[in-house]
Amino acid sequence: MMDSRIEASSGRLSRRTLLAGSALLLAPAVLAACGVSKSPSAAGAATGTARQGGTLRIARPPASKAETLDPASSLSAYEYLGALYNRLVKLSPTGEILPDLAESWSLSADAKTWTFLLRKGVTWHNGKSFTAQDVIFSIQHILDPATKSPQAGVLSPFVDGNSITARDANTVVFALKSPNSEFASLLTGYNCYIIPAGSAATIGASGIGTGPFKLKRFTAAGPGAVVRNENYFGEKPKLDSIEFSSIADTQARVNALLAGQVDLIAQTNLDFATAKTVSASSVATVSSVKNAQWYPVPMLNTSEQFKDADIRRAFAHAYNPDEVFKLAVQGNGTIAHNNPVPPTEGYYLDYGLGYDPDKSKSLLKAKGFSSFDVPIYTSSYDPVLSPLALALQSSMKSANINLTVTNSPADSYFTDVWMKKSLMTTYWYTGRPIDQLLNQIFRTGSSYNETAYSNRTFDQTLDAARATVDAGKRKTLYQDAQKILIDDGGSLTPFFSDRITGLSKKVVNYSEHGFEFDYINIGLLA
Amino acid sequence: MSSMTTTAAPASTAPGSFGRMVRSILKSRTATFGFALVILNILLALLAPVLTSYDPIATDAMNALQESSGAHLLGTDALGRDTLTRTLFGGQYALAISFTATALTVLLGSVIAGIAAYRGGIVDDIITRVLDSVLAVPAILSMLVVVTIFGTGPWVIILAVMVVYTGGVTRIVRATVMDVLPKDYITAAKARGEGMFSILAREVFPNVLDIILVEFAMRASWVVLLISSLSFLGFGASPPTPDWGLMVAENRNLMSVVPLATLSPIVALATLIVGLNLAADGLAKSLGVDRMKEVLG
Amino acid sequence: MLTFFAKRIGWSVFTVLLATVLVFSAIQSLPGDAASQILGQNATPSAVATMRQQLGLDDPPVSRFVSWLGNALQGNFGNSLVSGGSVGAEVGSALVNTSLLAGITIVIGVLLSLVLGLVAGLTRDRWPDISISTLALVGMSVPEFVVATVLVLLFSIYIPLFPAVVIAGQNASVAEILPSVWLPAGALICVLAAYIIRMMRTSVIDVMDSEFVRTAILKGNSTPRIVFKHILPSAMLPTLNVIAMNVAWLIGGVVVVESIFNYPGIGTLMIRSVQTRDLPAILLITVMSALTYVVCNLLADFAAFLLNPRLRYPRSAK
Repeated sequence: MMDSRIEASSGRLSRRTLLAGSALLLAPAVLAACGVSKSPSAAGAATGTARQGGTLRIARPPASKAETLDPASSLSAYEYLGALYNRLVKLSPTGEILPDLAESWSLSADAKTWTFLLRKGVTWHNGKSFTAQDVIFSIQHILDPATKSPQAGVLSPFVDGNSITARDANTVVFALKSPNSEFASLLTGYNCYIIPAGSAATIGASGIGTGPFKLKRFTAAGPGAVVRNENYFGEKPKLDSIEFSSIADTQARVNALLAGQVDLIAQTNLDFATAKTVSASSVATVSSVKNAQWYPVPMLNTSEQFKDADIRRAFAHAYNPDEVFKLAVQGNGTIAHNNPVPPTEGYYLDYGLGYDPDKSKSLLKAKGFSSFDVPIYTSSYDPVLSPLALALQSSMKSANINLTVTNSPADSYFTDVWMKKSLMTTYWYTGRPIDQLLNQIFRTGSSYNETAYSNRTFDQTLDAARATVDAGKRKTLYQDAQKILIDDGGSLTPFFSDRITGLSKKVVNYSEHGFEFDYINIGLLA
Repeated sequence: MSSMTTTAAPASTAPGSFGRMVRSILKSRTATFGFALVILNILLALLAPVLTSYDPIATDAMNALQESSGAHLLGTDALGRDTLTRTLFGGQYALAISFTATALTVLLGSVIAGIAAYRGGIVDDIITRVLDSVLAVPAILSMLVVVTIFGTGPWVIILAVMVVYTGGVTRIVRATVMDVLPKDYITAAKARGEGMFSILAREVFPNVLDIILVEFAMRASWVVLLISSLSFLGFGASPPTPDWGLMVAENRNLMSVVPLATLSPIVALATLIVGLNLAADGLAKSLGVDRMKEVLG
Repeated sequence: MLTFFAKRIGWSVFTVLLATVLVFSAIQSLPGDAASQILGQNATPSAVATMRQQLGLDDPPVSRFVSWLGNALQGNFGNSLVSGGSVGAEVGSALVNTSLLAGITIVIGVLLSLVLGLVAGLTRDRWPDISISTLALVGMSVPEFVVATVLVLLFSIYIPLFPAVVIAGQNASVAEILPSVWLPAGALICVLAAYIIRMMRTSVIDVMDSEFVRTAILKGNSTPRIVFKHILPSAMLPTLNVIAMNVAWLIGGVVVVESIFNYPGIGTLMIRSVQTRDLPAILLITVMSALTYVVCNLLADFAAFLLNPRLRYPRSAK
């Protein structure tokens, strides 16, 4: 049996390095200190000594009225999860898999049996003890079709809910249906927070977890609050409590920050100009996370326009990435050349389709098009979406591609447009481990397959990669998969963008990377 | 006898009265100013392609977020588009859409009003009740439903405006037509055996044209406001349309960087609406229509 | 007179019902339904079918409307298709918030504009009139999203006097929301006042020119007496209609202002409900708005009756 943590310390191609990057994201404080940050404000989040206590006020975009505290749900209230719950494992800023509720783990030589040793003496917010049964229940809950969890599609091909066993109260054994060397990385997903056994029906409102904060109140798409869990097993949080509020309009969220009504605006990538306004203010500042957002332009492979891979390739060659990058995000981020895997990711393949309007035209001509007209949908949901669509529209004219930009209301953008319209702009957080990224977003039939991409060779390559224990060979396979995706795939990826977060000058030690938010060290100045 | 009653019709639109109307408007300084503002807006919109050499939708990465300069008098926005150019072309868009929408609304409302008033009885009751029910539905709900069913685009916005305002126009025009219908010249036309549409077109509408004109001028200012608000909310024009409401929504976060990108469309919008309002006042005064009664529609 | 109002009330009930029917039919023609909107990216055909059944969306529209109406008449407006909670509570709390905003706007806006309109009318074509009229014209001509944005910049960011947004949420108490009401109310007052000032000014000028005020002046009545006894009641009459219309407009949802201030009112709820095709919520909002509309119109008619000497005196003379 090979302990993955031993493997992790064995050289350049170790899991640590391989995963570094998927979260990719250096802590903002580090960025600022090294002067790496290219954000409009050179200052990142302040570091320093936070006073003990205080209330942090976070504004977030309102989710659906059907949102819930059930972490497995596709409608989970994302900002609460890390405060209320723990997973078995979590990701470090540099992409290592770190213990959380699991103290250590190991996998068998055939990568089919994973054993997790759980932390002892952990209690739930209601005082009950945390045991292996809770872990089994949580994973079964994700896999239950009734939960409709987005993570089910990722785990169910190789995890059988009935083959998870408790060897004792603190040991969980997963007997996988097929080998998977990446299993632990998939448990870092934000749907994989552990909930108490038997709580499926109540967890959505109760929020009972093992995390550093306990639920005080929660309203779907409304305000809520969490307070410090004095019995937390780890280092105690600095804050007494966190208050959440929902603000729909992005500008209103920024106004609330500038007026001192909130201390941090979550899930809001400030555009260049807003960032400048915020950093100029006396009460607030900005912090930048490198390459934190991935802005793909999915071409729906099942649509009339994009069912042909040559047309998709013509689109990939049709725009000038330098121009689009500069217009849409003022150069804050990294040009991607249509590879959805960020360059800082260990498995990254340095390959892409570049700007070549002549090639684009000849590809279109071969299919009988002297020019190509298609609408591209956008929304004010995120400030980069419309500039991105307009920049592509402008740039693709050189390849005789005419995009008609169509605005769609922000509130219904992800129900009416996403996965329904043939061409649209959207974004994801980076920070998904490679196996999660490729399987969840590009595998045939997976829940977030926004391009409706379906390629047997690609799926088989992913299966082969998962089953491969040897890290070097696995890397080659994941890179083969990237090559297939880039050449044949559905998505344009012009760039990765830095995420610029607005926060009060009173806030210290703010750190966020991928889906990890540091709720322990964040605090307020004395 | 019939010729006598016909000439007895109030001759608000008889030849020569146009000249009188213009003279009366020119006598009022505010009305003159209002018409001048509207005409200025129309001229600037029509001459937009001559006044500027830039393309209102072409992006220019190298020249984004510029302040006022010789090359860009009002600077550029985040995508490097010339603010002056977009504001000028925004006038084309605003005037074309809002005037079309207003004209169609007033036309439809007048025809419905004419039919309701002329037919009277159950037809009138049904039309009045249905339109009152449409008015009882919040305007934003009606517009949202139209936009959700038909998607976005100029004609959808025009349709949405018609749904919201036709009821009000009908109410006003119907009341006026009711005043006209008992007149002798209408009775005479009926006696001649003219049909409803002929009577409405030849006898009734020419005699309520003053009300309809004032109605048009006043509604136009509301329609400009309504359309810009829709765009501001994201239900109206799609980028990169140089719509003033959309420009404010897109650029309001740039207030501290390039304030002109937001202020220009606001100033344009305000001058057009001030112009339309003053023009409507002037028109109402010169035609002897109580504009305030119009508001009640 | 009683039969007149009885008839008006009957028509009003009919209007509300017809408005509901219109909205119900319109929502049926929207693309997609609550099932597909709720499921979002998980909307597989079988999942949608199951959820449609759960939500009772498979029954024919007419029978659904009839059963909705039956329940509604008993005060049961059903549960939200999205949150599952009672729409009565959901729409109710939004309506309370909206009424608070509308109430403050109306009280301050009407008082302010009656005074300004009166002053303008009494000082016709002199400097107070010219400045007030100009201000009113600007108020009519600047879109409310501009007024609202400027108010936030000035009074909560540059000079932090008021909160920029409401962060308390839809179920907040009046005390929690009250501090945040002033700026949105200010923005709405600017829009509302412009019309009432103009209306009042015109009415005052008309009344001043009328025979009975001239007689009163000739009789040597003092100016305040003339203003309060004669001018104000007569000038109020047409103004009442404008106020009634504006109340209906305010209760119908002031979406732009709600969006800028994150105000948890009926407009925001309405947009959300349309987007999620949450029919029970939309229907209740329609009923409440339509009711407000007809009640306001009835009240305006009734007040006009009380205020209008021509309607009152012939009867008392009988």
